[in-house]
Order: sequence, then structure tokens, then C-alpha cells
Amino acid sequence: MRRAILLGLGGLMLAGAAPAFSGDPAAGRKVANMCRTCHGLDGFARIPIAPHIGGEPESYLQRQLRAFKSGARRHEMMTVVASGLSERQMDDVSAWYAAHKATASLPAGTDPANAPEACTACHGVDGIALFEDAPNLAGETNIYIDTQLKAFKRGKRTHEIMNGIAEAMSDEEIRAAADWYASVEFKVDAATK
Amino acid sequence: MKQIIALAVAASFFAGGAFAQSGQVPDNLEKLSGFKTTGVTEFTFIEQGGDYAVGIEKTLERISLPDGFKIELYAVVPDARHMAVGPQGIVTFVGTRKDKVWSVTDRNKDRVADEVKDFAPSLTFSIPNGPCFSKDGFLYIAEQNRVLLFPAAEFFYESPDVAAFNLVAKGDLIPPDEESFNHTARVCRIGPDGKIYISLGQPFNVAPADKLDLYNKWGIGGMIRLNLDGTGREVYTYGIRNSVGHDFHPATGELWFTDNQVDGMGDDIPPGELNRQTAAGQNFGHPWYGGGDTRTNEYKGEEPPADTVMPVVATVAHAADLGMHFYTGRMFPEKYKHAIFSAQHGSWNRTTPVGARVMVTFIDDQGNAAIEPFAEGWLDEATGEYLGRPVDVAQLPDGSILVSDDLAGALYRISYTK
Ligand code: HEC
Ligand code: HEC
Repeated sequence: MRRAILLGLGGLMLAGAAPAFSGDPAAGRKVANMCRTCHGLDGFARIPIAPHIGGEPESYLQRQLRAFKSGARRHEMMTVVASGLSERQMDDVSAWYAAHKATASLPAGTDPANAPEACTACHGVDGIALFEDAPNLAGETNIYIDTQLKAFKRGKRTHEIMNGIAEAMSDEEIRAAADWYASVEFKVDAATK
Repeated sequence: MKQIIALAVAASFFAGGAFAQSGQVPDNLEKLSGFKTTGVTEFTFIEQGGDYAVGIEKTLERISLPDGFKIELYAVVPDARHMAVGPQGIVTFVGTRKDKVWSVTDRNKDRVADEVKDFAPSLTFSIPNGPCFSKDGFLYIAEQNRVLLFPAAEFFYESPDVAAFNLVAKGDLIPPDEESFNHTARVCRIGPDGKIYISLGQPFNVAPADKLDLYNKWGIGGMIRLNLDGTGREVYTYGIRNSVGHDFHPATGELWFTDNQVDGMGDDIPPGELNRQTAAGQNFGHPWYGGGDTRTNEYKGEEPPADTVMPVVATVAHAADLGMHFYTGRMFPEKYKHAIFSAQHGSWNRTTPVGARVMVTFIDDQGNAAIEPFAEGWLDEATGEYLGRPVDVAQLPDGSILVSDDLAGALYRISYTK
């Protein structure tokens, strides 16, 4: 049975029990050729303005791609990218990136007690998400995190939890939280390419 | 140390889960403007040589150049973007799209840098992409929403505390609500008129109609210029989508600039652009034109400004023409005098990738320009993978040129021997 699942995933090697993806990671691997210049084939970002997406929850990736496609989330590049993707491709490529494993470690000498307390319940101390719907923040460029928080604060990006949280933050608090998560050492262990 | 400040501040903000308004990141700019020390003493040094450098050198073996030219690794510089070579030839400053500016020093003058460390580590930078120098040694750094100036930076950079002042204070370059991360790699240059020229990309693929008045007022989707004391700001150029490289012709003094064009219209349109501006206030056609004379779908039915200036050179679509430099050195053969060296970062949305190379543009007496590849090989055509992505070109005092690469995180030096 396990074997059958692995074959079904196109030979993807997954640690432990294979999680069920709604998309097909092997088909998603081909779609990812359109993403690799910015997000890498394994979801470790290749340009500072793009976030790491390797090892994110599949549901988060799907939701963001649909938000770009519908216009609910807007971005100069991603709006163009998502507008060209079918529903099927969005699910497949989300499954591909979700199949990788993200790991994070605090830099030597960092005291975990200094993590931004208001965020850790969902985004973890090290930026690996603990909350079902939340993304990883580990190792993202500080300006990416800063930009997203300001987008939540100004209502350019909407989410029932994050809008309220960001509205209560000053620009300096935003930058401090961004610096914390950006300083985390982040790694993506690739599924077999 | 900066880390520690940030962490301590974060701790006080988030204590008890409430966001106390009291905690402020210490504004070290105030201290530095008053020539006070900030207490920050530590630099981040980047290792030169080692395995990482060996990997880059291997890529450089693939790069083809015209006869007589050679390319070598000059420095390992993470996220290297636009460069400013000090007028004394002591140090080269390199911007990033993150939060660091690097200082690159070749102490023993063997044409390979031997020290790379962060500049002004006590300051908090945001997208400090664009450094530029005035002839008298003032360094300017254009960020997302601020422009700082550093007098005699070439002499003071050895200390973590350098005198620093606002040219344009934080929040005054553009309205903070218009800030973005993309199209925010600002470039600055000092013109022959002694003013500073700063490009301001607009953040959309095609600028929407309801933003145009606001953008034109601020020079977003354009180029602004101001005096070196911060006065006299005006919009110099309109109708740009996202320019990430400009320079002044050494003989005519005219402003030339690259512009990145609209995505999502197909593999082969619209073309990228190299533009020449002959008078203040000219309009270069965005958002009516998506690049060259290709009209955008969004503005198809509308009348473009009558005086729209078309590009001098239409470059291959989506190659992402970025930094450019007019060659004035004496090392290269005569035909390169006043030619433009420019970098193509490489496409991200073309079926067959193009770019990731250094181009050269020759301009004849009539002002006609012809572009051709100069250094190429960073694109692995078999796999479609980039091994490097050139960003900017600068000239060293000996007439060799530096090329920055933000994917490999490096500066290369290209020299010529007969
Ligand atoms: C030209 C570069 C580029 C390409 C190509 C690209 N992206 Fe992106 N992507 C970005 C940038 C930049 C962002 C950040 C958007 C923002 O700031 O809101 C992003 C954001 C995302 C996000 C949201 C991640 C998060 O943490 O919120 C997802 C998901 C995503 N991209 C998936 C893809 C997929 C799948 C592809 C290929 C089909 C792709 N991208 C191609 C640049 C790119
Ligand atoms: C109750 C859970 C929760 C808390 C607490 C929380 N977040 Fe979030 N965060 C989320 C969820 C869920 C999302 C996904 C939003 C979406 O789907 O658009 C998110 C998204 C984000 C993003 C966008 C990431 C990306 O990749 O684009 C950032 C940045 C972020 N949060 C930062 C923070 C910071 C900083 C804090 C603390 C000040 C915080 N969050 C607290 C749940 C939370």
C-alpha cells in the first residue's frame, strides 16, 4: 500500500507516512519550471523579493495562488504568473512545493525567549508554522515580511487574523519582528527531483 | 550587535503580548548626524576565496568574451546589486535588495578585492540598492523610501560609525502607502549639472489609471532630480515602467536609461528599452505603451501623450536590462570609447530563457545605437538554469570594468590586454 502511494507520487521520497496531497506533485514538478527562477525548484527563493515556498502547507499555497488569480492579493509578477495557471496546475504545483521539507534553526547564541511573543503561537519561535493555516516565516528576507505586514496593516492584503494583528503594530515593531524571523537559518530538503 | 539591539527591542515590544508604543528602535541616524558614536562596533566580514569562490570561478570558465578580454572573480559579495566606485579608487560600495550595503576593498591593488564588509552597520537600511558618488567624494545611497548621504565615505568607512545625513528623509521619497518591495531597486547618479538623478519604479505590471496623477506628482514611474543639498526636487522624466539603470553620455551630457517592460503579453513582445532623454519633462510612454511601440491592452482605446519618446534601442523581450555605464576608460580598444556597457538580468517568464549577460551598445555620430552581446554564458541552455545573473556595470580607475551578480553574490572584473 505504502509502495503504491510512493509510485503514485512519481517516486517522491517522503519521510514517514506520505501525506495525502490534493494535487499531483509529479505533475507539479513540471509546472515549477515556471517558478524556479524566483522560488527555486525546491522552493528555496532565488531572489530577495520572492518568499521561500518549499515545505509550506499545501492549503496555504493553494489559497495564495487562487488569491493572486482572483485579484484578492495583488503583485506585479505573481498576478501575471497565476493568471496563466489552471485550477489543476495550481493544485499540482502546490503539492510539489508542499512535498519538500522545511527546517529552521535559530542562529547560535540566540535566546528563544526573545522571539516575538505575539506571533509564536502560530508562526513558531523559529518561524516554522504551528497553526494549520499559517505560513512559515523562517529565513524570509526581512523586507518581505515587513512588506506583507504593512500590506495587512493597510488593508492591501486581507486576512481576518493578520489584519488585526498588523494594525496594532508600529513600523518599528514590524521591522523588529521581521528581523527576528529573517535571522533564522532556513533550509529546504528537496523531494527527489 | 545590531542583531542584539533588534532582539532586545523585540522583547520589550512583545512582552505581555501587548504592542507597547514606547519602545523605539534607536535612531542611530540622529547620533551619526551629530558625529556621536552609536556603540555598534562589529562588522560582518565576508569570506573571500574558499570553496564558494572556486564554484564561481568554475562558472566563469564558461563565459565568452571578444578576443583580448578576460573575466575574473573580483569579490564575493552577497546579493550584489548596483555599485559605486569611490573617486579616489579606494573602495567600491555595493547595494543590495535586502538590508546591507557592502564595502569592497582591494588593498594590495592586485585587482582582486581582499576585504568585503558591511558599511555603516549601526544603521537600519531598507532595500539600499543604489549607491552613487559625487566627484568630491560624497556617497549617496538611495533606499526604498529614503536617500542618505555620507561625506568622505571613502575615508570614514573603516569605522562602524560614519557621519551620515538625510538627503531625503524616510517617508519623503514617496508616500509610504505606495511603498512596495518589487520595482524598488532604486538607482542614483550625479548628472553633469551637479544634481542627483534618482529612478522611481512604479510597482504594477501596468500602472492603473487611478494612480497616474499621484505618480506623476511624485515622479513614481519616472526619474526625479534634486540639488545635492536636498532642495529643488522636480520630476525630470515621465512614462517609465521600471528603470534600473541610467548614466549620462560623457560628451553630450544626455541622460540614457534602461527600462523593463510589461509582462504577460507573450514571449516576444514587448521589447525592452534603452532610452535617450534630450530635454527635461519628456514622456517615455508607460502605461500607454508596454515597451517600444507595443500598446498595452489596458490602455488600448486611449490616446497616448503626443510627445511620447520612443526608445533608441529595442532590446530582446523580457531579458531585463538593468544597470548601465558609459565607458570612458583607456584600457579597452578605441571602439569602446563612450560605448554603453549594460547588464541583462535574464528573463523569468519566457518559454526559452534569454539574458543573463553583459551587452555593449555602440552609438554613431548621428546618435544611432546598435546593441550586441559582450559577455555571455551564465545561462545554462541545456537546463534553462541561471548560473549567475548580472545586475550592474561600473568602471575601475585602471579602465577595467566590474560586473555585479546578485544570484552568485559576486563582482567580476573584465580587463583587456592586446
Ligand atoms: C518573477 C518571479 C516569480 C515567479 C516566476 C514566480 N513567483 Fe511566486 N512570488 C514571487 C514574488 C515576488 C512573491 C511575493 C509576492 C508579494 O510580495 O505579495 C511571490 C509569492 C508567491 C506565493 C505566496 C507565498 C507566501 O508565502 O505568501 C506563492 C504561493 C507563489 N509565489 C507561488 C508561485 C508559483 C507556484 C510559481 C510558478 C507557477 C511562481 N510563484 C512563480 C515571484 C515569483
Ligand atoms: C492566530 C494565528 C496567528 C498569529 C498570532 C500571527 N499570525 Fe501571521 N499569519 C497567520 C495566518 C493564518 C496567515 C496566512 C494569511 C493568509 O492566508 O493570507 C499569516 C500570515 C502572515 C504573514 C504573511 C507570510 C507570507 O509568507 O506571505 C506574515 C509576514 C505574518 N503572518 C507575520 C506575523 C507576525 C509578525 C505575527 C506576530 C506579530 C503574526 N503573524 C501573528 C496566523 C497568525
